[in-house]
Amino acid sequence: MLPVAAAVIALAYPKVFSLPYPQHVGVLICMNALMAVAWNITGGYTGQVALGNTVFFGIGAYTSSLLLRDFGVNPWIGMLAGTILSMIAAVVLGYTTFRLRGYYFTIACIAMAEIVSAIVVNTRRLGGAVGVTIPIRDASLLNFQFHGTNKAPYYYTILTFLAVALFVVYRVERSKLGYYFRAIREDEDGARALGVNPARYKLIAFMLSALFTSVAGTFYAQYVMFIDPASVLAQPVSVSMCLMAVLGGLGTLWGPVLGAMALIGISEATRVTLGGTGQAVDLMIYGLLVIVFAVFQPTGLMGMLGKLKARKE
Amino acid sequence: MALLEVTNLTKRFGGLVANDDVTMSVNEGEIVGLIGPNGAGKTTLFNSIAGVYNPEQGKILFRGEDITRYNPEQACQAGIARTFQIVRVFKGMTVLDNVMVGSYLRSQSDADARERALEVLKFTGLYPKKDYLASALTIADKKRLEMARALATRPTLLMLDEAMAGLNPTECQAAVDCIRAISREGITILMVEHVMEVIMPISDRIVVLNSGKKIAEGEPKAVSADPEVIKAYLGGKYVARS
Repeated sequence: MLPVAAAVIALAYPKVFSLPYPQHVGVLICMNALMAVAWNITGGYTGQVALGNTVFFGIGAYTSSLLLRDFGVNPWIGMLAGTILSMIAAVVLGYTTFRLRGYYFTIACIAMAEIVSAIVVNTRRLGGAVGVTIPIRDASLLNFQFHGTNKAPYYYTILTFLAVALFVVYRVERSKLGYYFRAIREDEDGARALGVNPARYKLIAFMLSALFTSVAGTFYAQYVMFIDPASVLAQPVSVSMCLMAVLGGLGTLWGPVLGAMALIGISEATRVTLGGTGQAVDLMIYGLLVIVFAVFQPTGLMGMLGKLKARKE
Repeated sequence: MALLEVTNLTKRFGGLVANDDVTMSVNEGEIVGLIGPNGAGKTTLFNSIAGVYNPEQGKILFRGEDITRYNPEQACQAGIARTFQIVRVFKGMTVLDNVMVGSYLRSQSDADARERALEVLKFTGLYPKKDYLASALTIADKKRLEMARALATRPTLLMLDEAMAGLNPTECQAAVDCIRAISREGITILMVEHVMEVIMPISDRIVVLNSGKKIAEGEPKAVSADPEVIKAYLGGKYVARS
């Protein structure tokens, strides 16, 4: 019942709110939810705190944008190329870092992300620190570009990606993969004793995660029409995916979506009410909320809903 | 040929020789007890067989297959399942989900894995608690869950590391009954145990380690009368004068 209601609300949203700003917020929520859902596969289900997913976001954004700018390749094909590159990057990154456990894995991820960012900043061919402006094409679904003040087409595009990602995670959750992912999170040695090869399954989780993050990257580029290392290859991008998943509920299907709604909601609300100087204040509230949740509600918004449901019964 | 053959196994940790030239075997269908005082090298030997350690010397053959250099997942895939001395259940998962992880190893489909898991839960008596979180179980039930999980992988050899430690007499008896039932299913069992009253009556054969070396092997009766064994456990002056 609940998913149907959620779907109806999600589909009706841009019809009810036809102004550009609320539609933009809807796009932001869906895009961030997609990234958080992707992050949740490694961070939530498999328990590997990968704070370098900005690499995949960046690869997605840069691959499609550069292919379009320099070779006139359609962004949809660029998106596909981006996902393939991202998955290859996930294998390389995962293969070298998964032997590290716990904090060391996280540190290695951060270092990797910084290296990739530094390479892009210093390579003129990739736009360097200046970034890449996405060339304007005719507005159409085929060109992955929609102009004007109506953002509904962008909204439905990203909503579709999010729905696909949620469906994939839903299926994974109930399959061998999902059981193995959680077993690795709970106790890696225990899992190995039951014939689970942790390296292999962590890699699969990482590749899935990379795939969806990369799609979000291409979408971002086509939506904002400008990318640079500061916006798509920066550490805060990695951290915010993690925050949304944690706040919503790690290792749950809907947690990252709730987390994205909550965090984007708070960040936009504080930004709007506190004007141009709101940036820092919204981040402070953001940080405070995360701390409060970590202390009082470690299972996130999903855990809170579960408790409310239990109390009702 | 024996199901499991360990020949001249030596495992060192730096200067410490945990297992020194140990040779032993387990035959198909047997219950073999591995005993010895604290620090005798029981768990080390156990872990070498289960793929956790790579021994420096010696060879481990399982069903004729050389598994000396196997890692834990390979050992499990070959048909050796184990439990842990300090329980390693997946605390945040339900009892059923814990067992599902095990049963996926040799299942073709999700339904198949589920069926196998439920079967094992009924067999081990954990079925009424299948929806509990593993963290909510008593220590006895956690140990039983580890056994269930291991059984779900359809092993040929089940290795139990101190399955009775920390259990009260009633729980111990229940565990013994469970082990006997597993054995009747045709699964070979190798168990490390501290509690003598438990291991003596259920083992077909006993292997005794002391300071990393094997000092005795044989039927429980013979082993418990062996002066070397009594010396290792109680000290020299308790050896009956004859």
